[in-house]
Amino acid sequence: MDGFLGFVFDLFAVIFRVAVPVFSVLILYKIYSSLRHNRREERPLIMLFDENEQKAVPVLYWENSIGRNRSCDICLPDNTVSREHAVLLRRDNGWSISDNDSKAGVFVNNEKISERTNIYLNDEIRIGSTVLSVKRAEEFEGASRRSWFFRNSGKKSISPKKLLTLISFFFVLVCCDASLTSKALHTGIIDLMPFTYGLITIGLMWATYILTTLIFKRVNFEIESLAFFLTGMGVLISVHQSEKQAIVQLISATVGIILFEFLIKFMEDPDRVGKWSKYIYIASLGLLAINLIFGRTQYGAANWISIGGISVQPSEVVKVGFIFVGSAGLDQLQTKKNLFGFLIFSALCVGALALMGDFGTALIFFITYLLISFMRSGDFKTLFVAVGAAVFASVIVLRFKPYIMDRFSAWGHVFEEPYVWDTGFQQARTLIYCASGGLFGVGLGNGFCKNLFASESDIVIGILCEELGIIVALVLAISIGALVFYARAITTRSRSTFYSISACCAAGLLVIQLSLNIFGATDILPLTGVTFPFISAGGSSMISCWGLMAFIKAADERTYAIRRESLFSSSEE
Amino acid sequence: MKKVLNRSLLTWFLAIAFFIGLGYFVVNLVIHSSEWAQKPMNAHLSVTGLAQAGDIYDRNGVLLATSKDGERYYSNDYSTRLAMLHTVGDDSVNISTALQSVYRTGLTGYNFILGLGLPDSFRSSSDLNTTLDAEACAAAYNAMAERDYKGACVVYNYKTGEVICDVSTPGYDPYDPVTITEGDHTYDGVYIDNVISSTYPPGSTFKLVTAAAAIETIEGSENRLLYCEGSKIIGGEYVTCVEPHGEIDMKEAMAVSCNIYFAELAVELGPEKMTEYANAMGFNKNFKLDANDVAMSRYNVKDADTAGLAWSGVGQYTDMANPLHMAMIASAIANGGTPTEPYILESVNSFFDFKNILAGTHGRNGARMIKSSTAAKLGDMMRYTVSDHYGDSMFGDLHVAAKTGTAEVSDGAEDGWIVGYVTDEGCPLAFAVVIEHGGFGFSSAGPVANAAVAASARAVRGY
Repeated sequence: MDGFLGFVFDLFAVIFRVAVPVFSVLILYKIYSSLRHNRREERPLIMLFDENEQKAVPVLYWENSIGRNRSCDICLPDNTVSREHAVLLRRDNGWSISDNDSKAGVFVNNEKISERTNIYLNDEIRIGSTVLSVKRAEEFEGASRRSWFFRNSGKKSISPKKLLTLISFFFVLVCCDASLTSKALHTGIIDLMPFTYGLITIGLMWATYILTTLIFKRVNFEIESLAFFLTGMGVLISVHQSEKQAIVQLISATVGIILFEFLIKFMEDPDRVGKWSKYIYIASLGLLAINLIFGRTQYGAANWISIGGISVQPSEVVKVGFIFVGSAGLDQLQTKKNLFGFLIFSALCVGALALMGDFGTALIFFITYLLISFMRSGDFKTLFVAVGAAVFASVIVLRFKPYIMDRFSAWGHVFEEPYVWDTGFQQARTLIYCASGGLFGVGLGNGFCKNLFASESDIVIGILCEELGIIVALVLAISIGALVFYARAITTRSRSTFYSISACCAAGLLVIQLSLNIFGATDILPLTGVTFPFISAGGSSMISCWGLMAFIKAADERTYAIRRESLFSSSEE
Repeated sequence: MKKVLNRSLLTWFLAIAFFIGLGYFVVNLVIHSSEWAQKPMNAHLSVTGLAQAGDIYDRNGVLLATSKDGERYYSNDYSTRLAMLHTVGDDSVNISTALQSVYRTGLTGYNFILGLGLPDSFRSSSDLNTTLDAEACAAAYNAMAERDYKGACVVYNYKTGEVICDVSTPGYDPYDPVTITEGDHTYDGVYIDNVISSTYPPGSTFKLVTAAAAIETIEGSENRLLYCEGSKIIGGEYVTCVEPHGEIDMKEAMAVSCNIYFAELAVELGPEKMTEYANAMGFNKNFKLDANDVAMSRYNVKDADTAGLAWSGVGQYTDMANPLHMAMIASAIANGGTPTEPYILESVNSFFDFKNILAGTHGRNGARMIKSSTAAKLGDMMRYTVSDHYGDSMFGDLHVAAKTGTAEVSDGAEDGWIVGYVTDEGCPLAFAVVIEHGGFGFSSAGPVANAAVAASARAVRGY
């Protein structure tokens, strides 16, 4: 199109291209600032009064270790107290205490306890020679803990509705950008197809919000908003590549959301999760076994199985199971220090994935294993032993199957002959197209990266940078990367170490996966072919990402706040 | 809980590693963006092509290439178009060293901030100004094409580094690109700019290196007399001359191009000294012409026997030389021992001129090759060669110092060379011409050099 109208079209195209990154930055900021605000101060929940010392001991967490060790949440400097003597914990039905097989035992109102025992106001707990009586928290005067992440400035952060409106508006902007392709600019015919998918995504988002507020009476929606922000981008970048893929993304996102809500409900009682753990253990291994037997080789890795015409990647679902099996409540951590069962589980998972040739996912599982086992045991030795064993195993494998190395031979040389035409082909083009997009991208649908093999999954960063620009690509990457800081900051505000560990490890897993994806595609690491969480095409991956987000959501005590009754304290939420 | 909180710091390491990686990626992208974006595999360039690309001009503002209504246009003059092919390039990126290949993203208006995808109304392509003279290039091209020569011709200003004339043959009309079918050798090397990317056995032009080594190493060697009988056994092998030269000193040996004289000097100097001087004069060394790597000239006598060393001293054995590098040697001799680095890209006119990569890089001096006294002696010899042996009429009214070469190539044919410079005040031109299978350098490369230098002199002096 020429003339004035052509100029107007071009002008709008440029406006949308610049607006998309600007609003993406705004959304990222709003989501995280909302996550940082609206928190209760970390005041003591209840108080224990040390009768011998005549001094009040605040109880800060939902799960507290009691013992002589300085690292215990409630430290009792008493030689008759074991190092890790007992665990004081809060569940929906009230506070209780359990004994960690201590020498001297735990006595509640002068009765020795053998299993987890409920305690009530003014009960007397005897641990060694220390006597603690249970009091209200109001009776304790003292400063509350502060965290760098959370702020209690009193400033109201954005409401969920406003945040969703902002994200909806952003999706409309992206749709406008996707409609004004260079073809549309030349012919004057605007393609409205992207709006179909944009509006469906927006509808799905609002429906989820309304249903969760109505059914679960949940008040906050930041984690879901973040997941929708990412999901929507995944859908919208695929509309010009393959509409079928956009539909698959939307359907699997719906399944993912259902899984997300189910998992949050399922995890409501951390003790229940503990009981189910062994079934998840068996089911996960079963899935991998089925995969190994019936797996189809696709793109060099046999990590797919086909059920009734639908291809699924069981390893994606097993990621969720892996976190379940690995995480545990504090009383379990104290009594079952042996990680042997989890070690076997992890070794089997990693081994199965390596057999399938899916080294990227195997590496994700391995690093997540390190994270979980360290968070459970705090033992650096096991960390080093595991890394050593893995290196040893890799050397052995490479000795017998040296051709595996050929897959990674292009690393660092992707622009050189002959790699630029074979094993470095995708990475070289990813870099070329990343550079072609500039800060604001060439516009959705105008890129060439999308014509490359596996561009919708392994090298999706190329499409992001090329079509939407480096700013949007960074915003999406940072929005996932920053989850780690959130998950860690929320650790002591979780209702159980189960949530703390699972949230940190789920966020960690997502970041490991994201690192392998982005850095693999851009030749900073060898290309292993894993997906960009939420953005890459793939139903199984989408579902598992929503599943993993459930752990992070569950770690926030506010998720279950509405169902909680006031326990001992009148001033709670 | 507290313990778990402390242990969860491990996840921070992951996140921090991730953010460091992300930062590394961004920094890398900023640094390499234009290099990556202009790779020939980039479909934005090969599909969209040069429809929006800026203009390319010669030193006098003569249009060499431009775009109009989505089409790419080249010079109207047939000879200029073909002469400029390897420097300017065609619509494809087959000639990888051409301006339209190397600076394609710049021509099409690429920069890191805006990328490649701006709508047409907002495109800001940039124009390239070159140091070349269209007429000089056309003259050199015609001189080569009418004799059906394959080879390279380069003339540059040894004071400023501006390349005036740069022609590589064979070529083709950018309006009518060749299609090469498998097994068809008609167009072998058609995409290669021989000035930049080729090397040839230097033949007698290498005697300049042997002479420089001898002058600086062996006291009074230039006055040493030798009786040339036309052939002599050195290291068990015959070293022969075209004819017996009789009793000659170095100046005369240079002028008549006596192989025996310089072969004996090479053997006397030994492999270490010869290699040292070859390296000092730019052999086995990387040079650049703007963004392009110049093919490396080679001198390697590590495994040579005495005969091999003798032949290496007269530019045979495994010696290989690049034409542009040989012109730089001539420029060093003209400049008192230090070469000027040549360049073609004068300036880039762009709306968004984010980094002026060219500022301050022009006309730099390279590393000193030889002592200035040596340069003066070699200059005398080269001048004497032209004035007393070829005759000054060969270059019209210009006074030229030169050395020819006739290098045997593997298939028994001979490549013709001439390397030299103009001594006239106000016309500081260094040149090198090589003609594949041209036979005697004097009769094959000579006329091409004459045409190219004469036209370049007009471009520099204005008459």
